[in-house]
Amino acid sequence: MLVQFYNVTKVYGNGVKALNDISLKIDRGEFIFLMGPSGAGKSTFIKMLFREEVPTQGQIFISSRSVVRMKRSEVPHLRRSMGVVFQDFKLLENKTVGENIAFAMKVVGAGNREIAARTTEVINMVGLKGKEDSFPGQLSGGEQQRVGIARAIANRPLLLIADEPSGNLDMATAEGIMDLLYNINRKGTTVVMATHARELVKNAGKRIITLEAGRVVSDLCTLE
Amino acid sequence: MNLKNFSYFVKEALISLSRNRVLSLATVSTMAVCILFLGLAVLLTVNAGNFMNQLESDIEIIAYLDDSLSDQQIRAIESTIQATAGVQGVTFVSKEEALQKLQQKFSEEDYDLQQTLGKNPLPHTYEVKAVNPQEVAQVAQVIGEIPGVYKVNYGQGVVERLFQVTKWVRIISMVFMVLLAMGAIFLIATTIRLAIFSRRKEIYLMKLIGATDWFVRWPFFIEGILMGLVGALIAIGLLSGGYTSLINNAQTALFFIPLVRQQSFLIQIYLSLAAVGVVLGTIGTYISLNRFLNV
Repeated sequence: MLVQFYNVTKVYGNGVKALNDISLKIDRGEFIFLMGPSGAGKSTFIKMLFREEVPTQGQIFISSRSVVRMKRSEVPHLRRSMGVVFQDFKLLENKTVGENIAFAMKVVGAGNREIAARTTEVINMVGLKGKEDSFPGQLSGGEQQRVGIARAIANRPLLLIADEPSGNLDMATAEGIMDLLYNINRKGTTVVMATHARELVKNAGKRIITLEAGRVVSDLCTLE
Repeated sequence: MNLKNFSYFVKEALISLSRNRVLSLATVSTMAVCILFLGLAVLLTVNAGNFMNQLESDIEIIAYLDDSLSDQQIRAIESTIQATAGVQGVTFVSKEEALQKLQQKFSEEDYDLQQTLGKNPLPHTYEVKAVNPQEVAQVAQVIGEIPGVYKVNYGQGVVERLFQVTKWVRIISMVFMVLLAMGAIFLIATTIRLAIFSRRKEIYLMKLIGATDWFVRWPFFIEGILMGLVGALIAIGLLSGGYTSLINNAQTALFFIPLVRQQSFLIQIYLSLAAVGVVLGTIGTYISLNRFLNV
């Protein structure tokens, strides 16, 4: 079991109840779509996974470790077991594609030789061979998101979290990104992906958790 | 922090300094101005203190002796004064010397004061220095009670007022320096916050990827320290240049103010200012950075 939520409730300082008594489990190797309208609590759910937010009530375990009771100094180690992909890519504009990926590995203390080898490897994996020295501004949206994914998997995470990764992309490009995520999942990485796009989810045959007003309203293997 | 990381941190700091040139320049200028003012305040305080010390040490007690005393009695009084608690030194000024001094004040050679006055009307006196100028009133009282001393004078009234003034000058200059230092920290923290704000995305990313707080902090600290040091060096250059030319040129015009001119002491002040630059850079960075690390 990779992730366990027990009766998790989150109330923000301004009184907004973002999550309301959520309990669920995520197994290693699963691919999960997180669906629901804006404001349903998807972003809060995702932020709980990498502990940007902590629950007001309830418990979260990741790899059997309590995220709630975790000390501040232990958080970096939790996050090193995860990779995050953002809707707006969040690439560093003043670094090249290669440097953006190397940066993520440097941050967790990888050696230079390992960084060089792994950077080449993940750039090939996401299909950006030859673009190592381009700056993000010179790439298309789809290519930028591939860099974002390459950066997220560079440290070989157990869990890949994607928050609307195709939200800024057209349908054809989005499908390319989905294929890439499925590929990563097939190699053993657990993937949690928040999305609005029903057409991407419909025929995927993956587990779909739907949130509405902070509650899980359905947890199914296909979308009806 | 190992050596490999340290070189990475220094490299990152230098890259970001040159990449954010305008903000770096703004921070360095702010530092330089703050430290310049702080340095000015320190030099003013030091010189004011020196001036006050000098004024205070100029205070002396003059004991006027009866005219009828024999030489032996006069010498006996000297020993008594010498033995009084709180006395640092005694100088005898005979009535002849006193007249000569007075003559010098008139300084007209062809004018014979003695002839005008007839008999020398001035008494023998002892000039007494107190160990602690603040105790001059008590010491004067004791000396005044020695038989043969008919009057003591130490500038009663004026001296007390002088001590009031020197006390307040010292307090005000201390308060002024503390306020200035606090203002400098605030100003520098604000400038550094601007510089860090422009890089908050990078910090957020580093934190999400799993960087420790210190990994994020080090390059910023190195940057802050470098900027503080450069700002301090600029300020010290201006300050030492200005002060040296003041000593060399203005001393004649300001002869009544004794400027502090010991090189070793001045160098100590300049070194402290450099240290202040480093500390301000560090504190400024620390204050500004913490908010962005809370991810």
